[in-house]
Amino acid sequence: MADLPDFLTLRHNRDRAGIHEVPFRRAGTALVALFCLAGLLNVFGQRPQSSTAAVSAASIKVYAPTRVRLGLYYEARFTIDAHSDVKNATLVLHSGWAEGHTINTIEPSPIGEASRDGKLVLELGHIPAGQTHLLFMQLQVNPTNVGRRSQDVALYDGDTLLTSIDRTITIFP
Amino acid sequence: MDIVVRAFIAFVVILFLTRIVGRRELSSLEPFDLILLVTIGDLVQQGVTQNDFSLTGMVLAIGTIAVLTVFFSYLPWRFQVLRPVLEGVPTILVDEGNVVEKNLKRHRMTQEEVAAAARLQNVPSLSDVRWAVLETNGQISFIKKSG
Repeated sequence: MADLPDFLTLRHNRDRAGIHEVPFRRAGTALVALFCLAGLLNVFGQRPQSSTAAVSAASIKVYAPTRVRLGLYYEARFTIDAHSDVKNATLVLHSGWAEGHTINTIEPSPIGEASRDGKLVLELGHIPAGQTHLLFMQLQVNPTNVGRRSQDVALYDGDTLLTSIDRTITIFP
Repeated sequence: MDIVVRAFIAFVVILFLTRIVGRRELSSLEPFDLILLVTIGDLVQQGVTQNDFSLTGMVLAIGTIAVLTVFFSYLPWRFQVLRPVLEGVPTILVDEGNVVEKNLKRHRMTQEEVAAAARLQNVPSLSDVRWAVLETNGQISFIKKSG
């Protein structure tokens, strides 16, 4: 023992050195690997998902991610299939589509925009029976917008509600 | 406020990662490690400051990291029980010329690596070594047999 360098002991530095460190390192590595695996499995976004709702007059499909991370750009695609004439198709989006987001563009531009009970109203106009209207929104999550927000979508014909989709977006830090 | 929280999280994550990666891996700075280091630095910067290009943001981020650095160096100094957790324990790899295999295994090292480190310190053979100690900074120190 006298030969050992100062502050070292055979018990602590030879026989038991790393005895706790190795399990800690393995557990830590497993934890990090699990986190990365969760990322691969879309736990933290941003793979788009489809949500659909339909009535006899029309159906609507929203194709957009429900999980994103701060700063990400993403696209939301709204597909409206008119089974019968929709005279004044109007999309009503929950404020969660705009709150804490930068809306880069909406294409094709709606013919009118308004607010209804704090929701965004996008007036799309006439969709003849059998036709499809595609609307793209390009968005970016603002860097301070963490949490869950409702992103409900409702399709109206004028003031008449045709159908709606309940969806929520989760924004990870 | 966010930038301070993000800098704190980044610091803790880096501390955690450096502890689990293993000290040997961190002690070498080969070209690949250097590139990896710069890449990680860039990724961390994006996570911490994001779109904040302000001088205030920079001072907040650097200030947070500086305060945490002081704090995490104070902890093991003040509380000895935290030293193995935060800094690790020096590990004896060679005892009187005999390689301690289980300690090599714990640190994912081979005898050849220890021998190479010994050669860098002008020690031709591990049998000439009284003690080889893997220090907490990842370097191996060699104490030769006398005579």
